[in-house]
Amino acid sequence: MSLKVPYKKYPTPYAACGFYYSASIPVSIALPAKNSPRSKRFDAIIDSGASSCIFHASIGRAVGLDIEKGEPTQTLGIAGPMQIYLHDISLHVPGGIIVTRAGFSDGLPLAGLLGMAGFFENFRIVFDPTALRCELERIYKA
Amino acid sequence: MSNQTDVRFEALKAAPLDSWVALSEDESKVVAVGSSYEEAVRNSENAGVSDPVLVKTPKAWMPISV
Repeated sequence: MSLKVPYKKYPTPYAACGFYYSASIPVSIALPAKNSPRSKRFDAIIDSGASSCIFHASIGRAVGLDIEKGEPTQTLGIAGPMQIYLHDISLHVPGGIIVTRAGFSDGLPLAGLLGMAGFFENFRIVFDPTALRCELERIYKA
Repeated sequence: MSNQTDVRFEALKAAPLDSWVALSEDESKVVAVGSSYEEAVRNSENAGVSDPVLVKTPKAWMPISV
């Protein structure tokens, strides 16, 4: 059973059509303890270029994380290195909950990125440029 | 491409930059904004929308390469 997610349009003055397409879904996060309160849903980009999931630090604080007490590390983006702090969280996505170690940063220019560890490793994903959508099929590992 | 996608796009295009934007549950309209995630959530709840979808708008819209 796969979930078909239409690409979404985002504005840009740098394209003649005035927009670009991106694959994103609403997700929420919580502390990993059972029944922890969840964040509100937020827009997260499906990004195979991200080695793990990264979220804006303010969302982490809202669910109770002390961001700077996480494991500090750096991640390399196209604009250069960025300081992030790693925390264990529950990621609420279509198909259920994924417990993963995700990065948090105040410098992230968007709400969230869904990367290889924590997201892609749990889905079979097809990007379909003809239908302008991606298809997500959850993989449940033994 | 669905009309819903176009409606969402128009809502985002009109939203303030460098802000947190709370979209309605169906992502068709902006129901609240804030300078932080928590402010946008609070304003959304004050507007009667308890299950918004939050989007962080950039300082300027451009294709993303993080």
